[in-house]
Amino acid sequence: MTELASRSESAPATDGQGSGRGRAIGRLLPALPAFLVLGVLFLGAMAFALVFSFWKTENFVLVADWNVDNYAKFFTVPAYVRTFGKTLLMAALVTLGCLALALPFTYFLVRYVSRRWQRIILLAVIIPFWTSYLLRVYAWQAILGEKGVLNLVLETSGLISEPSRLFVYNDFGVFIVLVYVYFPFAALALYASLDRFDFSQLTAAQDLGARPDQALRHILIPQIRPGIITACIFVFVPIIGEYLTPTLVGGAQGVLIGNLVVNFFRGAQIAQGAAFAMIIALFVTVVLVVFRRHLQVEDVVARG
Amino acid sequence: MVGPLETMPVSPHARLVRRALWLLAGAILVFLYLPIAVMIVLSFNESRVVGLPLTGLTLDWYEQALTNRLLLEAVRNSVIVSLIVALLATIIGTMAAFPLVRGGMPFPGATRVFATMPIMFPGMLLGIAILIFMRRVLDLDLSLLTVIAGHLVFTTPFVILIVAARLQSLDTRLEWAAADLGAAPRKTIRHIILPLIWPAILAGGLISVTLSIDEFIITFFTVGPQMTLPIYIYTQIKFGVTPEVNAIATILLAAMLVLLVLGAFVLTARRRVERGGEH
Repeated sequence: MTELASRSESAPATDGQGSGRGRAIGRLLPALPAFLVLGVLFLGAMAFALVFSFWKTENFVLVADWNVDNYAKFFTVPAYVRTFGKTLLMAALVTLGCLALALPFTYFLVRYVSRRWQRIILLAVIIPFWTSYLLRVYAWQAILGEKGVLNLVLETSGLISEPSRLFVYNDFGVFIVLVYVYFPFAALALYASLDRFDFSQLTAAQDLGARPDQALRHILIPQIRPGIITACIFVFVPIIGEYLTPTLVGGAQGVLIGNLVVNFFRGAQIAQGAAFAMIIALFVTVVLVVFRRHLQVEDVVARG
Repeated sequence: MVGPLETMPVSPHARLVRRALWLLAGAILVFLYLPIAVMIVLSFNESRVVGLPLTGLTLDWYEQALTNRLLLEAVRNSVIVSLIVALLATIIGTMAAFPLVRGGMPFPGATRVFATMPIMFPGMLLGIAILIFMRRVLDLDLSLLTVIAGHLVFTTPFVILIVAARLQSLDTRLEWAAADLGAAPRKTIRHIILPLIWPAILAGGLISVTLSIDEFIITFFTVGPQMTLPIYIYTQIKFGVTPEVNAIATILLAAMLVLLVLGAFVLTARRRVERGGEH
């Protein structure tokens, strides 16, 4: 691309000329395609989903019969509210789990590992993304299952006498696999903010008499707070819409709200499904708006 | 470089913490690669049933995978979709990054939030909205085109953010200098800005390919009769027949790693040439 650019002859300058107003519009013009794509396929499509969530589905056809029954159903059926609450709890626990692993991991990386190896290890954290998400989750069945790796290890080490079925097709299985899936996001977010931290501050704090744990709590943690919040959002928010993991390793017990939404669409209950989707969307939007100042999306997506 | 580490007295306690962190980091890497190792091992396992112990090693699944027309078609569809998505997202996203960073955009804060929302939103919501829009509003049939539309929604923001981050870190004085020397804006973009941000554009394109090729949930809602690879894998998992898809995923991973090594090689070689050119 570079060579192509440097070899090509210059084109006559036509953009950015003309009156002030025309010029301002001319400068905005490059953003137009993106705005069309996102405006129509994201905002527009969401708006229609919102409209339809107030309609009815009769014989697989959407009818413009405005009502709030679809929302009322969510709040009146205890199983739905309970599943949503459970989804939030699961998301919170997985977020904690990811932080508990990613904080020491990235601290270790930034503190004790050479720059060159930091890059290599970060790459190693990202590479699993290149393998099918489905197959990675599916492989957990072979790890946690009755004839799985975990049972084999526990049995040969004599910790259990017969294979346990308690590791998969339940909430525990969903928890483990979700921590596995979302750990890299947490690690990338935390790494970015730890990388900017000046570690001599910790030394200074200890020189001034702070215990290591005090130095961490009062010096390090406050300064990497944006990274922690970014990590939390990058883990917490997508889990609310998680479908595959509970489907593959959750069994009957591990159902999350996403499974309910998909079931509505499977049964062509479009209006009902749209209403549930909108409840999730509203929740996610509130989280994003509340934390917008702390969310550093670029830290996670724009590495390298 | 003398870091704070060397200047700090190392107590036995600190050494212990350090060793514990070492162990934890190692355990985490094992945790991350265990499923992939299992997937690769299962692709060579003789038995159709997922589980241990292995019954014997075989290359049958690779042979079957490479002669399975449905599977190959799904791979082809996924590659086509991801390439088109990456191309469109990269062009559209790069163009949008300029006014976003260089100003002129009304409500920059809101625009930024708007541009990042599709990344943060659970994919299921994007898929549902596009399904409803295509089927109920436009009355279109689902096809690979609707899949492409769905993938564009979340890959374009990635490109915008990555390219915008790079543009932000560019020294604007370079552009002023070019303008001072009489370069027209278009010429400045071509000869100054594009050469400087092309790594970001490339990264955006690569991320778009990898995200698109593995996207399940949006595809799940927007796919028509032509399957993509994740959809095919999903149907196979439902039936519990996975050795073939394990084989194909192993091949794809190997291909990606080869590309990575080649890419790293080319980049270092290039850097060496550029560094040599400076003198």
